[in-house]
Amino acid sequence: MTQPIAPAAPDIVSRDGNTMVLSMGPQHPSTHGVLQVMLEIDGETVVKADPEIGYLHTGIEKTAEGLFWSQAQTVIERMDYLAPSSNALCYVLAVEKLLGIADRIPERAQTIRVLTMELTRIASHCVWLGTHGIDLGAISVFFYCFDLRENILDLQEAAGGARMHPNYLRVGGLNGDLPAGFIARLDALIEKFPGRMRELRGLLQANPILQDRTIDVGVLTQDEAIQWGVTGPSLRASGIAYDVRRAFPYTGYDSYDFDVPTRTQGDAYARFLVRLDEMDQSMRVVEQARRRLDVPGPVMIDDPKISLPPKETIALSMEALIHHFKLVSEGFRVPPGDVYQAIESPRGELGYYVVSNGENRPYRIRTRPPSMYNLQALKGLAPGNLIADLVVMIGSLDPVFGEVDR
Amino acid sequence: MPSTQNPPIAGTAIDPTSLRPKLDDAVVERISPSELRARLEAFKGDGYAMLLDLGAVDYLGREPRFDVVYHLLNLATHARLRVLCGINDGEHLRSVMDLWKSADWAEREVFDLFGIVFDGHADLRRIQMPNDWEGHPLRKDYPMRGNNAERSPRPAFANKSNVVAGTPPAGRTLEALQEQVRRARE
Repeated sequence: MTQPIAPAAPDIVSRDGNTMVLSMGPQHPSTHGVLQVMLEIDGETVVKADPEIGYLHTGIEKTAEGLFWSQAQTVIERMDYLAPSSNALCYVLAVEKLLGIADRIPERAQTIRVLTMELTRIASHCVWLGTHGIDLGAISVFFYCFDLRENILDLQEAAGGARMHPNYLRVGGLNGDLPAGFIARLDALIEKFPGRMRELRGLLQANPILQDRTIDVGVLTQDEAIQWGVTGPSLRASGIAYDVRRAFPYTGYDSYDFDVPTRTQGDAYARFLVRLDEMDQSMRVVEQARRRLDVPGPVMIDDPKISLPPKETIALSMEALIHHFKLVSEGFRVPPGDVYQAIESPRGELGYYVVSNGENRPYRIRTRPPSMYNLQALKGLAPGNLIADLVVMIGSLDPVFGEVDR
Repeated sequence: MPSTQNPPIAGTAIDPTSLRPKLDDAVVERISPSELRARLEAFKGDGYAMLLDLGAVDYLGREPRFDVVYHLLNLATHARLRVLCGINDGEHLRSVMDLWKSADWAEREVFDLFGIVFDGHADLRRIQMPNDWEGHPLRKDYPMRGNNAERSPRPAFANKSNVVAGTPPAGRTLEALQEQVRRARE
């Protein structure tokens, strides 16, 4: 088998002696992870920027091919580590479509999924806002944001058992119902949120330093955004109201009342405002989901071939014991087929193209990573701007490198 | 935890994509490599303005071996279109980088992980793996783990572990270490 040989990386060399080449990263603090940008600069002005990715490549897609359908979810959650549940939801929805059980997911499970998704979105935007603030010199914002995020991580831990990667969602429903005391803590968070958002907006929104650094910086026109495949808040800041929750509703999002915030300027400040507005809208959805939680019900599909039997039945029922053993030792099989499922993750359209060949392991899982496409737009944004503005642009595109590199 | 022991099932020459085509809300088109470029250009003219994603699947044992998958989105009507294009190992595809800039990194990734070459791509080189990497990891005949002979030798303390049974290297047994300590004390 002949394999094409990869050509060596072209060095960015000075073209006429007036420019120099600077490698920014991969350990630069404002690259939000391990991003290297090869810069050709003329003084302080960027002539060409070439982002180099792959420093965090861990082969998640390959690893998942060797795991059971249920095990693969654990590695998939590690892609976008700031919003782990959004990866899980997208994957779970895709597998449910392949299994043909998408319309049998219990109502309460769907409500809790929506709740988890929106809390995750707020937590993820908190990290973005905190780190973006630090990039711009506003240190205290970071502490306010991480305090709010910590409240949400506490809720995640209560529900799923872990702060960062709760693995709370399951194919067919959820790991379990919400624990006692969860609602009271959720209510406390709903109570606290508006005041905290007022403080954050007060610190930043009219702040002249922030406005000087972000207004008219990194302007992404509509055409450019579409060309680069930019989605999510970055696309909506350029004036295109594309939100997967509205365009292709999933998990009952069509029954919730929320706005899709957009701006038309397309600069870093517009992206900042869109994300702040999104946090408010997410909290609106959380409040609606909270009201629906008063109705009890099952949180897992009633199908012994997919869901583990309740622990207490295993000692009493032979069938339950057999089902438990088979599910744990060889997993469930998924009928052959291919499906593309997309959701609105905090960063944009997250998609999984999942192929099954009828086995108990996925044949192929292809991710559509929103961060990767958003980050790619940096090539078009950076030239002609100052190096200091590059930091703002990277921050305002909000990439997560676990997802860019997978 | 049996899973990583078994490599993924390779060589099952089935084509799952043809079995149940209507599972999601996308229109699915299968197009041959020769007319792919022209058809994609026509789709773009029809309003599929955004190339959401470009990926590949390796159906080892099937003819043709690979599927390159294009996910297109019409932002005005919110319609999805999935284009599947089957090609064999060694065949090239025309790049669509000039139609959609988003194809740039996506085509590099397919080249890197599958070894599919896109003619006309301005900068086709590895993106996730290091430049001197051999092989294309997402191919089904690429092993899940390296073979044992190539593994770096285990450190001495790992060989003494009662979990991993192995012959300790000469001079690094517990007795030898105790002997060393005893001699040092004397």
